[in-house]
Amino acid sequence: MSNIVEAKSLTKNYGSFTALDGVDLTIPRGAISGLIGPNGAGKTTTLKALIGLCDVDGELSVAGRDPRIARHKLMEDVCFIADVGILPKWIKVSQLIDYVEAVHHRFDRKKAEKFLSTTDIPANKRIKDLSKGMVTQLHLALVMAIDVQLLVLDEPTLGLDIIYRKEFYDRLLNDFYDGNRTIIISTHQVEEIEALLSHLVFINKGKIVIDSSMSDLSEIYTEVLVDADKVAQADALLPLYVRKLLGKKSYTFESVPREQLKTLGELHTPSVADLFVAKLKEKKHG
Amino acid sequence: MGKFAVLQFYALLKREVLEHRNIFIGAPVVVALLLLVAATWVATQIDQSDLAEGLRFVSVLFDGLSPFDIAPFIMLLAIPFYLTLYVCSVIYLINTLYQDRKEMSVLFWQSMPVSNLQTVLSKIVAIVLVAPIFYVLIIFGMYLVAMVWLTVLGISNDVDLVGIGYLFLAATASLVLIYISAVVTGIWLLPSIGWLLLFSAFAKKTPLLWAGGVFILVGFLEDFIFGTQFLANWVASRTSDPNQYLIFEFQSVFERVFNYDTLFGVVVGSILVAGAVFMRRFTD
Amino acid sequence: MKDLLLRNRYTLLVVTLIVYMGVLVTEGMITGREARGIEFENPYFDFNSADFEGIRERRSDNENENIRVEFDDTGDV
Repeated sequence: MSNIVEAKSLTKNYGSFTALDGVDLTIPRGAISGLIGPNGAGKTTTLKALIGLCDVDGELSVAGRDPRIARHKLMEDVCFIADVGILPKWIKVSQLIDYVEAVHHRFDRKKAEKFLSTTDIPANKRIKDLSKGMVTQLHLALVMAIDVQLLVLDEPTLGLDIIYRKEFYDRLLNDFYDGNRTIIISTHQVEEIEALLSHLVFINKGKIVIDSSMSDLSEIYTEVLVDADKVAQADALLPLYVRKLLGKKSYTFESVPREQLKTLGELHTPSVADLFVAKLKEKKHG
Repeated sequence: MGKFAVLQFYALLKREVLEHRNIFIGAPVVVALLLLVAATWVATQIDQSDLAEGLRFVSVLFDGLSPFDIAPFIMLLAIPFYLTLYVCSVIYLINTLYQDRKEMSVLFWQSMPVSNLQTVLSKIVAIVLVAPIFYVLIIFGMYLVAMVWLTVLGISNDVDLVGIGYLFLAATASLVLIYISAVVTGIWLLPSIGWLLLFSAFAKKTPLLWAGGVFILVGFLEDFIFGTQFLANWVASRTSDPNQYLIFEFQSVFERVFNYDTLFGVVVGSILVAGAVFMRRFTD
Repeated sequence: MKDLLLRNRYTLLVVTLIVYMGVLVTEGMITGREARGIEFENPYFDFNSADFEGIRERRSDNENENIRVEFDDTGDV
């Protein structure tokens, strides 16, 4: 199977609030996929649905299984790290390692201890006595020692110092990712992960706005720093979004051939962050 | 695969003991210490020779009886531990599926390949089968201390030490009966266990209030809709007689477990436990 | 149907309680259950010191009965 996640028409309502509104999503195997969206967009709901922690309507397949039917079987192939601080506060580091070793038959204790030996985390300390950064280091060390197909990360570096954040992504890429494993990361800090991503998903108000590989993105979206005399021409091409930049106007276009845009000014591929803003503030042409 | 499942379940039980050390170990240790302190204080208020005379009397009384004949009487000393285990069990069961949702660690526990059924079953096994082991060991420790003290008293007052040794044997024999009583009581009270677990899994706040409030409401609704009081009858029948909580003879174990009322209780308790297992999917 | 029953925690609770009470009420109606304590015999709660003598006597009586049974089985007088 070439896609590790296949979702169709996922819907979730919390009372009158619609968290997911007909979400269609495919994530290819071996991708590092970023799930980007503003607060309340549905990122956490989507990720929790993928690992069976949230019941949703619609069709859903993750690593060949429906997470709603046999969550615990799926967890043999999938690992999950949520915002910092979901490790149980009362447990000691050594007890946690013992527990994971006993319940997860794909856990390699030696690997986990090797990762932990590069940190300052003492084995006999309780989780509640560790700093936020150490808790994330510990959780990542455990997860990286499990031979899983898919790693789902929901804002894993929220509230962490830059040092811990950089180290987190370095370890993820160097020690966990091998081209076959898939990583799905949701985050606000788009700039931080942009360089890692091979696949991008934008979600806003419970709907998928972009679901594309990074290479396709650069063909679909173009940002143009339009010369002052070409503004009318640019407007006629129905841009996605316009903003002022360095005294000129920057236009973002969707699915407009680059050949057509060359004459308007300087072209480049928008950054994920700029594309994100452009899609959020998308002009409605009617 | 079977061996791994056993190791997995053992890890779940170990988790329960480590997470609730106060309930499994702390509470009975405190009770044991309080009882020893109380006994020491009482002993200081009584004349030593009167104490020794009492010991001699007890030795004569028990002469010719086997430890298992004497054990039931010594069992009654364990009543404070029963009450402690009972109260601690209620606290444990009503909190165990609530606390990890409150502090969000449920997201970690559920990210492991452990099913909701395994999780809930481990909690039942922990409180019915495992907790009494700790309580019995701590009571044994208390008896050991008491016997050392009685031996010293006996030596200095010319009391036959064989009698004291016999008492200790009987006390040890009583521990077996205590353990069996606790386990059989746990099976007997499976509906209550299921009820507490269901509301522990359901409530977003104040699970004990939910458990109590809905119980009263359901009782009223039953009377209102059907004109019957079977729920109230059941509770009355399971709480009215202290006899039900203690087993003094091995011969009665089979009858106490394999009787219609106990087995029907297992059936209705299983309905509530199943509700708790399904309820576990709602992690918010 | 399953989706409706497991829609949220509230529907699941209601369904569980309906099944539970349904079984309880049905059983009660069939068996004619009344409000009563279920009694288990327990001589130790009626204890007095004479019972120790009673226990000793019963034990020695049991031993004598066993011997008598053996005589009957072999047919010896």
